[in-house]
Amino acid sequence: MKLNQLILAAVAGAQFAFPAFAADSEATNSTGATQSGTPPAYTAVGAANNSTGAAEIEDLKKEIQALNQKVQSLEQQRRSEQQAVTDTNQEQIQALAQKVRILERHRELDQESADAAAKSAPKISLGTGGFNLTSADTNFSISLHGYVQLDSRTFLQNTAPGVDGFIFRRIRPIISGTVFHDFDFLIMPEFGGSSPSIYDAYVNYRPWPELQLQAGRFKSPIGLERLQSAKYLSFNERSLVTDLVPNRDLGVELHGDLFDSQVSYAAGIFNGVADEANTGNSDVDNDKEFAGRLFFQPLKATDIGALQGLGFGVGGSYGNEYGSSDLTSGYTTDGQQKFFTYNPAAGSVTANGAHWRISPQGYYYWGPFGLLGEYAISDQRVKLTAAPGTAADLRNTAWEVSASWVLTGEDASYNGVTPRHPFSLHKGGGWGAWQLVARYAELNVDDTTFPTFANPATSASAAQAWSVGLNWWLNKNVLILTSFSRTTFTGGASGTVTKEPEAVFFTRIQLAF
Amino acid sequence: MKTFLNILLALSLVGTAGAKEIKLVNVSYDPTRELYQEYNAAFAKYWKAKTAEDVVISQSHGGSGKQAQSVINGLEADVVTLALAYDIDAISEKAKLLPADWQKRLPDNSTPYTSTIVFLVRKGNSKHIHDWDDLIKPGISVVTPNPKTSGGARWTFLAAWAYALEKNNNNETKARDFVARLYKNVPVLDTGARGSTITFVQHEVGDVLLAWENEAHLAIKEFGADKFEIVTPSLSILAEPSVAVVNKNAKHHGTLAVAQAYLEYLYSDEGQEIAAKNFYRPRNEKIAAKYAGQFAQLKLVTVDGEFGGWQKAQKKFFSDDGIFDQIYQN
Repeated sequence: MKLNQLILAAVAGAQFAFPAFAADSEATNSTGATQSGTPPAYTAVGAANNSTGAAEIEDLKKEIQALNQKVQSLEQQRRSEQQAVTDTNQEQIQALAQKVRILERHRELDQESADAAAKSAPKISLGTGGFNLTSADTNFSISLHGYVQLDSRTFLQNTAPGVDGFIFRRIRPIISGTVFHDFDFLIMPEFGGSSPSIYDAYVNYRPWPELQLQAGRFKSPIGLERLQSAKYLSFNERSLVTDLVPNRDLGVELHGDLFDSQVSYAAGIFNGVADEANTGNSDVDNDKEFAGRLFFQPLKATDIGALQGLGFGVGGSYGNEYGSSDLTSGYTTDGQQKFFTYNPAAGSVTANGAHWRISPQGYYYWGPFGLLGEYAISDQRVKLTAAPGTAADLRNTAWEVSASWVLTGEDASYNGVTPRHPFSLHKGGGWGAWQLVARYAELNVDDTTFPTFANPATSASAAQAWSVGLNWWLNKNVLILTSFSRTTFTGGASGTVTKEPEAVFFTRIQLAF
Repeated sequence: MKTFLNILLALSLVGTAGAKEIKLVNVSYDPTRELYQEYNAAFAKYWKAKTAEDVVISQSHGGSGKQAQSVINGLEADVVTLALAYDIDAISEKAKLLPADWQKRLPDNSTPYTSTIVFLVRKGNSKHIHDWDDLIKPGISVVTPNPKTSGGARWTFLAAWAYALEKNNNNETKARDFVARLYKNVPVLDTGARGSTITFVQHEVGDVLLAWENEAHLAIKEFGADKFEIVTPSLSILAEPSVAVVNKNAKHHGTLAVAQAYLEYLYSDEGQEIAAKNFYRPRNEKIAAKYAGQFAQLKLVTVDGEFGGWQKAQKKFFSDDGIFDQIYQN
């Protein structure tokens, strides 16, 4: 358009130039006309001049037309080129947009694949609870954990029978897990004793939390203190009351938690073991022992914080036991010294029939405060091996109460203390949790035991123990216990252990994961 | 002790005595969502009228091969309705969940409906795609799922191969080259047919979608005929999706009878009508005639006739290091 105007302007310019010629021509004509009669030759010349001008104008018009066409052609060409450029750009944009969409889709598919792979991949975790491997569908899992306890015992009395020194009290790696969703298992060897042994090994079928069936070797469901994991104990050793309940036994147990664990029950049939004893891999007689426990935490789910940590219940057992293996090898002090054993000065005693236990028990935890108490009766029929007619039902009793206070304010519980600020010397680290603990316990042997079934000179008929301690929970995994225990005895004046009170200072470094 | 266990058993029986709802799990392939949504409602109604029992059917969808693997890995399907017989064979062989002769238990080799592979292009078909030849031209972007995971993609691969063979006088080298060129034009391999449809329709990737016939019709129904059109190639393959009761699972769940009835009802007039309405080609001749107008007529090869059956086809083309792996990696 602009080019067109330019050419027209050029043509117009040419016509502006022509007036000179035109004026001359007109002047000539005018001159000729003013003169009387125009000379023919002059007219002819003028006509010729007119004819030439018209031709020139015609030529110029053609030239203008040609130029106009050329301009139009150029404009058309330019438009085509612009269109071509636009089309090319459009195609490139579309192609790029397509590439972007493809890349986006690839990313989505990659993400989907990654998500699918993540869903089907087993989950591995390592933390305060040990090493855990769980299948993607959570139907299978295996966990490696355990605990190690290094103790020191220092006997403070003048003629202590116990040996001062360090001892690996427990070394217990644990393999536990689940197969096919409902079947749990646990295997726990013990390397801390004089010889390695399997402490726990069981399978637990868990179709519902309310109804579970456990079979194997595990703790008999009676004593509260006994059922507490060793890694959560407030003192190095359990109290005198635990002398009267069994340790691990072989059997089958139906158990479960009802009403959000407000009620727990366990009932099982076991080989039957002596007080404080662990079972072997087989029974020593044909008779079995029934054991069970009912425990309530009725206010656990309420909003009453002060009462949520209240739990109480009762455990017990009944069975017939025969032979020396089913009779306790002795009751021990906190320092793990035997202060009472059956057998009189001459002869021996064996189990001879019914053996029942009952243990009312309870605890109360509120904030940093904890209280745990337990009473136990172990009533067992015994006889003299050499004189079977000399038999008796002997009823031994024991009780304990322990209290704790977490100085640093963390909650106390049956399952230990979790420090709010784990110990670390690095910047930002805390000092863990500190806990004061105290305990009193008594054990009384049936009076009729002496002298027929036990030697009053060497065995005490009763023991009373008090303990105080300070525990340092560095973090979820490391615990340092320190405590002092003093045990006094009734009777047994000539006994190595019982002739004077036992006083022991304990320490423990525990690693649990 | 024995008495105690008896009491427990009795209590558990009392607890289940009142339950009348039957749960059935149908593990299916990708594009059957709409078909079985409609069919399940019809069957539940039929079963309720027949037995007074409520049946609730849970669906699982995905690439046919992937779905079969899931069942092998433990997904407890009562029935499988997969894209091809080979995938159900795999369940039978690897997991032993149903007998090897499962195809004989229902009519038409346990394939109650059929389909084929067609092209879905964008409205106007600006790339002038009319037959398989057009798919291998440079600049054509083809969307199809991965034959390793998708049953539909395997049917597609075989259809393309059959076309190439026919065009090249059964020259396998040329057929291989043809298919290789085709897959060179595939920018995205989804794991299943529905994924590819989403890629093509929603993400606007590609010029042509190689689709199940029913899926192509569904895309047009869903997104409008003003956006897409179906191109029927000169040759394709008769796709025969297969169905089977997974005996061991159904027996374990106590659903054997209802599972069997569920599949048999696919052959009923109502089942066949539902299949046809969802653009599957019904086996029932009367109903096929009624819906003939919605299905294009074209030459259809069969996997048995052209490739010697699924076992051979799978091994040759889709096994690890098979022809597909070779051409796609190259």
